[in-house]
Amino acid sequence: MNQTRITHLMKPENLLQQLTPIPTQKCTLGCPILDGLLNGGIPCNSITELVAESGCGKTQISLQLLLTAQLPVSLGGLSSTSLYLYSESPFPLRRLHQLSSSFPTLKNPLDNILTHPLHSAHHLFDVLSQLDSFLLSSPIKLIVIDSIAALFRFEFENNPRDLKQRSGLFFKISSKLKEQARRFGLAVVVINQVVDVMDDSDGLRIGNSACLYTSERKVSAALGLSWANCVNMRLFLSRNEEVAGDDCFATRTRRFIRVVFAPHLPDSYCEFVITGEKICGLER
Amino acid sequence: MICTRKNTTCNSTIWEKDKKEAVLGEFERENPEKAGQRRLVMEVSSLPISASLRAKLISGGYTCLSSLFSVSSSHIAQDLKISENEAQEILRVASQRRASERSNGTTSMVNGAQSAWEMLNEEQSLGRIITSCSELDDILGGGISCKEVTEIGGVPGIGKTQLGIQLAVNVQIPMDYGGLQGKAVYIDTEGSFMVERALQIAEACLEDMRGYHGFLKRDLQGCQINMQPKDFLENIFYFRVCSYTEQIAVVNYLEKFISEHKDVVLLNQVTTKYTEGQYQLTLALGDSWSHACTNRVILYWNGNERYAYIDKSPSVRSATAPYSVTGRGIRSSVSNCKRVKMM
Repeated sequence: MNQTRITHLMKPENLLQQLTPIPTQKCTLGCPILDGLLNGGIPCNSITELVAESGCGKTQISLQLLLTAQLPVSLGGLSSTSLYLYSESPFPLRRLHQLSSSFPTLKNPLDNILTHPLHSAHHLFDVLSQLDSFLLSSPIKLIVIDSIAALFRFEFENNPRDLKQRSGLFFKISSKLKEQARRFGLAVVVINQVVDVMDDSDGLRIGNSACLYTSERKVSAALGLSWANCVNMRLFLSRNEEVAGDDCFATRTRRFIRVVFAPHLPDSYCEFVITGEKICGLER
Repeated sequence: MICTRKNTTCNSTIWEKDKKEAVLGEFERENPEKAGQRRLVMEVSSLPISASLRAKLISGGYTCLSSLFSVSSSHIAQDLKISENEAQEILRVASQRRASERSNGTTSMVNGAQSAWEMLNEEQSLGRIITSCSELDDILGGGISCKEVTEIGGVPGIGKTQLGIQLAVNVQIPMDYGGLQGKAVYIDTEGSFMVERALQIAEACLEDMRGYHGFLKRDLQGCQINMQPKDFLENIFYFRVCSYTEQIAVVNYLEKFISEHKDVVLLNQVTTKYTEGQYQLTLALGDSWSHACTNRVILYWNGNERYAYIDKSPSVRSATAPYSVTGRGIRSSVSNCKRVKMM
């Protein structure tokens, strides 16, 4: 008998949820300072977006999450397997392997990470649809999509008709993800890229900062306003070169993670470093 | 008696402007409609309950009707050593008394018809839910009005969900503190409602109430605030919907849920609309949806400040007001703040 379809009884009474005064379950980032910024970590039942230019650490953070999700709940993990959907081949296996040595308590962590490549936005939607039956029987509690912007880049041109179609697909995908997040209590992390903002243009302000800066460039998240409405929380990773010490030729890279918008977090940011493959927050 | 002046900013005025002004009867004397409110502060002795229950109530210190409204039935049961059922019966009877005090005893020739005068009276007695930002309440005519549909639109991160949660908490403010002592139905289509944030906002609301408690007139000082942040969660009926079909099902189901002071505040999304070569911000669901809403409020950024703009309203004119989102919830914008420091 085909047990893969659950009869989703759409009785409105079933949609009424009892609110209990227990905070939403979160997945730790593996660092107490970063967890502090996020009031516990990446929340379940919602979509968290990480926006950054390349080289800022977004893939690093997502790999870290694939491991921390496996930690027991008592240590802030989700005690579960993770799913990594990636659009940029190849899969960063070596980095993951190196990072897993920072989590010695996990046995065979790579066994608990499922991966699947993505070719396009439509492909993503198909994969998510197929996931429904799989999620019923599998203890997946974290889905990472790396990255969302790349999926849309090839299919859609920058004209009104395509953009409108693209928006439609945003809502379809995010709607599917949110439904699965709700049904299975998943934490969903979506990686997004940045696009440059022309200095003289009136950028649309979204969130806590008039504009976002990284590498001394003014940027904004890719995919525009429609997509911004599709995520519950947006975090921005950035890096800046700063003069180190008295020697004006030496520079060092400083990295920051900032809350752009979140329903439960104030406007805040935190500096972090990548040491020995692991990402750690820095105290002020 | 706490001022619950219907059509002005009284509620938030109390909390944010000069407290001294709020304390005494100046408002009462000036407003005849207060007379109805005054009678709430009446002896419990005239309630239609058994003599022994009445005696227990009075000796327990519950002499005024309004003292019953800020405590739960289980608290009364414990306090007076009566059964839960008896306590609930007392509250039920007291509510009925309060409700009948408020009604204007309308007559109508045709069932369902009302004279314009009656409608005006009813409108003036409409509850309004404060937003906890006095400037915002001012331009709204006192707060979000009940029995009307208000649409609130804005970009992500501007504070729509924050305002929604603030309203879901503020609607529960007890009558003693100028609130509606109502409940909220929260239909969440985005999954942005976070319990921990609701608890934070509820805690701040209680703190504000406790701070105000010191200004209450003596006869109400017996009414301690026994509420806790988690009590606010019980009165928020939370529906999580993921599709428009679910939303329709819930809205139809709501009819069973609707009670006296029901109102609907809808959270809408903003998107860009391409018209005539220019990108304009417009509310996502478009004009046909907008016709279904009585009021429309648009939240937007002006520099680094958040502003609200009344785009459509039958009763107040278009205006803007700054507000801010703080750890305590929606509050006045910092630069506009003339808060009197509470001791």
